[in-house]
Amino acid sequence: MEDILHHQSSQFDEELGRLRSDVLRMGGLVENQVATAIEAYGACDPRAIEETIARDQDINALEKQIDDESAQLIARRQPTAVDLRLVFGIIKIVTDLERIGDEAKKIAKGVRRICAAGSQPTQFAPAILHLAETVLVMVRESLDAFARLDSGLAQKVIVDDNGVDAEFKSIVRQLITHMTEEPNTISMVMDVIWIARSVERIGDHAKNVGEHVIFIVEGQDVRHRRLSSNGGAV
Amino acid sequence: MRQELIRTLLLTTLAGCVALLAALVFSATVGWLVFCAGLMLQMLAHFRNFALLDRWSRAPEVDIALEGRGAWDGVFGRLYRHEKDLRALVERRNRRIDMLLAAIQALNDGVVLLDRNDQIVFCNATSEALLGLRARTDIGQSVANIVRQPEFVAYLTARDLSRPLILRSERNPGQVLSIQLISYADQRTLVQIKDVTQTDRLDRMRRDFVANVSHELRTPLTVLSGFLETLREIELTPDERQHYLALMSEQSGRMLSVVQDLLTLSSIEAAPPPEDGLIDMARILDKLRRDAESLSAGRHRIVVDADDACDLLGGEHELVSALSNLVSNAIRYTPAGGTVTIRWHANAQGGVFAVEDTGIGIEAQHIPRLTERFYRVDRGRSREAGGTGLGLAIVKHSLNRHQALLDISSTPGVGSCFAARFPGARVVTH
Repeated sequence: MEDILHHQSSQFDEELGRLRSDVLRMGGLVENQVATAIEAYGACDPRAIEETIARDQDINALEKQIDDESAQLIARRQPTAVDLRLVFGIIKIVTDLERIGDEAKKIAKGVRRICAAGSQPTQFAPAILHLAETVLVMVRESLDAFARLDSGLAQKVIVDDNGVDAEFKSIVRQLITHMTEEPNTISMVMDVIWIARSVERIGDHAKNVGEHVIFIVEGQDVRHRRLSSNGGAV
Repeated sequence: MRQELIRTLLLTTLAGCVALLAALVFSATVGWLVFCAGLMLQMLAHFRNFALLDRWSRAPEVDIALEGRGAWDGVFGRLYRHEKDLRALVERRNRRIDMLLAAIQALNDGVVLLDRNDQIVFCNATSEALLGLRARTDIGQSVANIVRQPEFVAYLTARDLSRPLILRSERNPGQVLSIQLISYADQRTLVQIKDVTQTDRLDRMRRDFVANVSHELRTPLTVLSGFLETLREIELTPDERQHYLALMSEQSGRMLSVVQDLLTLSSIEAAPPPEDGLIDMARILDKLRRDAESLSAGRHRIVVDADDACDLLGGEHELVSALSNLVSNAIRYTPAGGTVTIRWHANAQGGVFAVEDTGIGIEAQHIPRLTERFYRVDRGRSREAGGTGLGLAIVKHSLNRHQALLDISSTPGVGSCFAARFPGARVVTH
């Protein structure tokens, strides 16, 4: 970690530092977007909905910019070892961050549909908001882990995702029960399910970011580890 | 210096003399050899000192004095003293820096020092708590890498030093921070962070208060002026007239009670605490029960559960009206057929006066705000029940003036319990 943070070649170092900062700036936008999407869900607030949707463009633009910068850096500087891992990791992290942005946008659109139909999603709010807040903390911690190159924190994010998956399943069961009892709410509840699904996906992407951080720090690819340790079983 | 030169010259001359003597006694070659040997001895002496200095300079040690021989002694002494002074100076400076940093650490405000590239040079404990920084890992890191909220990043990039940034923290939801950039010492930046959550809440309460007072007074006033116009413009039968006048007096009565409550509240806030008197609780409980029964008009079951062994010390008028307010609230918000229980239990440790009802209950999110002025869970219902929205604010203030706390617990649909907890010093045992 010391090696990655404290380089000898200063010009190169500066470029890498800038790249890292750009990723974290993008991360800040994504965190904020997810928080706004959650706020929109909690309050059916049209301003928050539109803000979440509009924010996606900035995030996409930043993704392209960071990809370009990374490609340039690889071409001009030909980084090796740790530095190459860092740039590789950044390219992957950025993809996951962009996906998180997309999911946040989907949440906002779902909330807009529900509110436009005159329903209040607040009936299922406590469960979904709880899930969303857990996921928001995961996104924040995955970015903290990247900023500090802290593989321990990254590991925690990966573990937390299991809890999110379990919680998502229980929410879906609850919603299905609700639909069978009150069929006239099916279209609304379907939207709520999509929202819950997006929240769960954000958790998955945060977990991916955590895995990329571990790859950067330790040089180990921990993706799909559980799968391979089970001898290929799903 | 001069002395050393003379000394060297003397030694050389001495060697020369001995050499001359040897040349006279033996031969010129022997003379030269002796002269060379003399010079050599002098050089050896110098070399010994040099070796000493060489060894010392590799690891300057101030515990053991550096002592040279001959000409070198003075030089070594000065060098040694210089090193010693320098170390003492560094030590003093370090102590001063440590003290200054400790002072910054002790500040209640968060302080982060940034270099020219906005990288963290120092951050104190408060800033760690407020911004989520960690000095151990984040020194040398760009501050925007950790505090990523877009508003903060924009503020940092814009470098607008004229105004602070009011930031609703994402890391600690509910917390409001005021962040100010201060430029110092050649393009370096000091970030000052204050927790303004309380101030922000007070500001909001003050704004709400003014808006609420205006609203509370405007509603009945609109009704009054509407009726006045009707009375002036339209011919009415005496019956209609009576009806309108009754409504008008009801509205003016409402205004009067709002103003009355506001005055009570401000007098409680401004005036010194009332003189303590002994309050006979048995009598007060009896009075509260009778008042409750008359207000309830037989629609509720009123239960008094008290031990008579203890009385209270305090301003009787103020305390009793606070307690009776709790009882009348319970009656108002409990549907017919419900039970209202008035409890009074006390011992030397303290006393608890509680009013329990089986009423509609209050949702958890409203409870912390119940004692705010004009805060109402349900506006319509509160007015219907004749409340001004100030009752609990007055109760809380009156109790606080008697070092008592108002504890509210409630389950929606089951009932509520409002408890006034008095400290032991206010309880008198028979």
